[in-house]
Amino acid sequence: MTSQYAGELCTLLVEDNFGELFARIFSTLVHYDRLSFSRLKFYSRLSNSQLRHGLAAMVQQHLIYHYTSYDDGITYYEPNMQSAYYLVRSGKILEFIEHRLGKYAATVMSTIMFLGHAQVGYLETLPALKPANSDMNGASEDSGEKQIAEEYQGEEAHQETEDQPNGLNGNHAPSVYPTLLHPTLKALAGHGYILRVRDAQFQSYTDNALDAERSIKLRPDIKALKGKKLEDAVMEGTLELLKERLDGDLTRGLMFNGVPRGAKRRHATGAADAPSKKAQVDYAAVDEDEDGEDENEWSDDEFGEDTIPMETGITIRINYEKLDVALRNRRFLELAERDSSPETAEVYDCLLRRIEYQTGKCRDTTQIPREGEEGEQYSVPISLRAVVEDVDLLLDLAGSVGPMEIFQPVHRHGKRPLEESVNGIGHDGPNGVQSDGNRTYEVDQHLCLLAQPPYNLTSKRMVSGLITWTVEFRHLARKLRHLELERIIEARYGDVALRVVRVLHDKGKLDEKRLQEISLLPFKDLRQVLATMQTGGFVDLQEVPRDAQRQPSRTIFLWFYDPDRVCNSVLEDAYKAMSRCLQRLLFERNRLKEFLEKTERSDVKGNEERYLSEAELTLLEQWRAKEALLLGEVARLDEMVAVMRDY
Amino acid sequence: MTSAGSSGASVTELASKLYEQCLNNYPPDQLFYQHDLLGLGIVPKSDLALLLQCTQSLVDQKLFRLLQGKNDRLAWKIISREDAEKLKNLSPDESLVYNVIHSTGRSGIWVRAIGTRTGLHKSILDRCLKSLEGKNYIKSVHNVKFPSRKMYMLAGLAPSEDVTGGAWFTDGVLDENFINTVAGYIEYTVSRKSWFEAPSVDVHRSKRMKTNDGSASVKQETSQKTYIPFPAGYRGYPTVSMLTNAVNESGITPVRLGEQSITQLLDMLCYDNKLVALSNGEMYKSVKNPEAVKQSQARKPAGEDKGIDDRLVTNGMTEAPCGSCPVFKLCAPGGAVSPESCEYFDPWLEKALGF
Repeated sequence: MTSQYAGELCTLLVEDNFGELFARIFSTLVHYDRLSFSRLKFYSRLSNSQLRHGLAAMVQQHLIYHYTSYDDGITYYEPNMQSAYYLVRSGKILEFIEHRLGKYAATVMSTIMFLGHAQVGYLETLPALKPANSDMNGASEDSGEKQIAEEYQGEEAHQETEDQPNGLNGNHAPSVYPTLLHPTLKALAGHGYILRVRDAQFQSYTDNALDAERSIKLRPDIKALKGKKLEDAVMEGTLELLKERLDGDLTRGLMFNGVPRGAKRRHATGAADAPSKKAQVDYAAVDEDEDGEDENEWSDDEFGEDTIPMETGITIRINYEKLDVALRNRRFLELAERDSSPETAEVYDCLLRRIEYQTGKCRDTTQIPREGEEGEQYSVPISLRAVVEDVDLLLDLAGSVGPMEIFQPVHRHGKRPLEESVNGIGHDGPNGVQSDGNRTYEVDQHLCLLAQPPYNLTSKRMVSGLITWTVEFRHLARKLRHLELERIIEARYGDVALRVVRVLHDKGKLDEKRLQEISLLPFKDLRQVLATMQTGGFVDLQEVPRDAQRQPSRTIFLWFYDPDRVCNSVLEDAYKAMSRCLQRLLFERNRLKEFLEKTERSDVKGNEERYLSEAELTLLEQWRAKEALLLGEVARLDEMVAVMRDY
Repeated sequence: MTSAGSSGASVTELASKLYEQCLNNYPPDQLFYQHDLLGLGIVPKSDLALLLQCTQSLVDQKLFRLLQGKNDRLAWKIISREDAEKLKNLSPDESLVYNVIHSTGRSGIWVRAIGTRTGLHKSILDRCLKSLEGKNYIKSVHNVKFPSRKMYMLAGLAPSEDVTGGAWFTDGVLDENFINTVAGYIEYTVSRKSWFEAPSVDVHRSKRMKTNDGSASVKQETSQKTYIPFPAGYRGYPTVSMLTNAVNESGITPVRLGEQSITQLLDMLCYDNKLVALSNGEMYKSVKNPEAVKQSQARKPAGEDKGIDDRLVTNGMTEAPCGSCPVFKLCAPGGAVSPESCEYFDPWLEKALGF
């Protein structure tokens, strides 16, 4: 992601989050790439101490890589664009964590984000995360739970406090959550959302690779090899060593049957935010107590009773790769929600969650492969049973799928009562005997529905006689990409253009006549739309001369649509649009500078009603709305960038 | 002398016999080679010279058409008596032109191509064509592929699909209204068959009451019809032939549409994201349920303001002012077009926030 606009955007983000010093250093590094300290000092025109402090803090924030060469002993600095870019995604991540694991987890997450990386022991000492009444262990648990539930209902507009551990969230934490830190950290680690910091993570991937290669080559057994064999062995060894050095996986020992410990527990709490579902949670809890044999082993290791704390010596950071997986799954879910019933989407959610626990990152290659050169890559297969276990018992599965036949009413009458009874038992309460076979069949039905075209959101696999379900991620990621492009095309050039592009994408290169036959459009419209799209860079023309003279009359003209090319240019546009939004925000902020400074005065802040006039209050409100809108737009653009670059 | 006279008479006699035989025993576009004609056993002793005389006389009477068969062998085709009557009245030039046009059949021929093949001067050619057209022997046709070319074909023939462009063209122009009507009809028909209409509440309720407290029917109590998808592997989705029949019986089309034309239209609908082809185009399923289809179709003729929900959901790029900015490429901080001086942001903010 090294391009003019990406660089511009990252610099803006750094400036927005960390101020001018960081921005100065970062932009210098973006411009000149790898620099030694002296060169960096020369280009950035900063004083020695400024630069040293800045660099140290930026290393802590993972904003730059540093590498000390063995040859000359000079340390080089390099910008870490990826992690600078992730600053923009922090809000989305925190929202996601809050939804998945609760408010406190989001607070912990935002603290870690704010610090870049942090030692567990240090987190313990932070007042924002510190439990105030830590002596009330088991007893306070119930009330704590209740309060959690209340809070969920009470909070309407949760505000994103980006990188602010002391923001809104922090205020509640000490009083409500007793000794939550360790179990929460464990949950985060179990889900893979955080990872251990390793030394190698401070160097760029290339440096690490070269380093690893060097040390592999020094090994005596490798030295003995020659030619092709040597190359292969070095390659293999390098990859292995890299993996070992970069690996910060914390999930080991925290997973149980492919599910992070405590995930289910929190899943139930998470469901409580919708009041209508509240009653169901109780049933589920009772159910668990009664028939969950495997659940018993850990269903009671709740927040307060988890006795083994996280090692205090471990340094942790955010695992963005894993979070990308989770966010990508959310996109797939949205895709499913658009075309399927809520019940089907819910089943899909369960499947995706199971898969997420076992998927480390979105793809193996660093670059998105070219269209058509990408192999199929299935996720881990999840057995149907596991999905059935996760699906809410009260979900009306049968009622949202139609019958196989509708033309024979007799048959339907025969079938209906059967479904009824399934529903009936399901609704009778926790004591009803769930007819497992039917339930399994219904879940399978829903998953089959998802496997249908056009999206093929799932695919069925038989693994040693058991039905399992997987998701073909690469295919779906591609689908998402195409969908984004199609949206842009439709918005800019209309639905006629969309049809043309889809035809071209499906059939490859076509001449005008054939294109007309397939798209059934009048020549005039077709030409117009093709011409405007060509100016916009979405389609292009290839000339195939029939003889050496290349006369236009003897030349075949073929239209084509290359999604890769379009994707790249749209990605650049997205970076640019994001930085424009941020720049505009800065500009707007400057317009209201004096007023905003007043609102941020320590005596005014928090007491706005008392110190500000009526007009000023509306102005403040407007400003906040404006800021939210612009930042929201940036986040929306980021979603697009994620689809085109990360998924 | 008698021999000459008798031979002259016998040639015409033999020739007409030959013609009758060919007409009765073979289909009208049979290609006759020399040995075919000899095989009929009419020409005595397989006399080649005599056969040649016979065929020549038939060709002169326009009852036979001389053709060049495989390997440059001579071959003939019979012409019906009525056509021969027509041809007899033509001047040599006209018949030359007629033959050329005849040879191209249903695909028609370009005027310039007639010229090169007959070698006639343009003015003569024009006269011939005019007189042939006047006699209603040929007609001018409009070719979709070459709209500017003047083309002719025999009056009695219907132009082929290549020439007309298929059922979707009227007079060589794509008939958009017609396409839209049929497409809308098909979409609705498919949609009706690809969603299961959940049974209405009151019928259902009485049954439900027996088994449970009715909490499950909360969703269905909405007055609107609820549509739910069929399970995977459902075989009741409409097929091409079903749809073709439905369209032809509906009376919205003046001409009978073939399955091929309907398939073409179905493909188009798939590219429009309205239908989904299942199992390799064997069956079709609609994306939207009948209610939604009705709504979106009702909206279209109403005016320009197409609803947002008819489109794909928007994304960041299409919402941001930058996404539709005409000078986005020139935009740079501090430049002539810059985020600070941008005139699109303010209206955009106002529109979004409403103040």
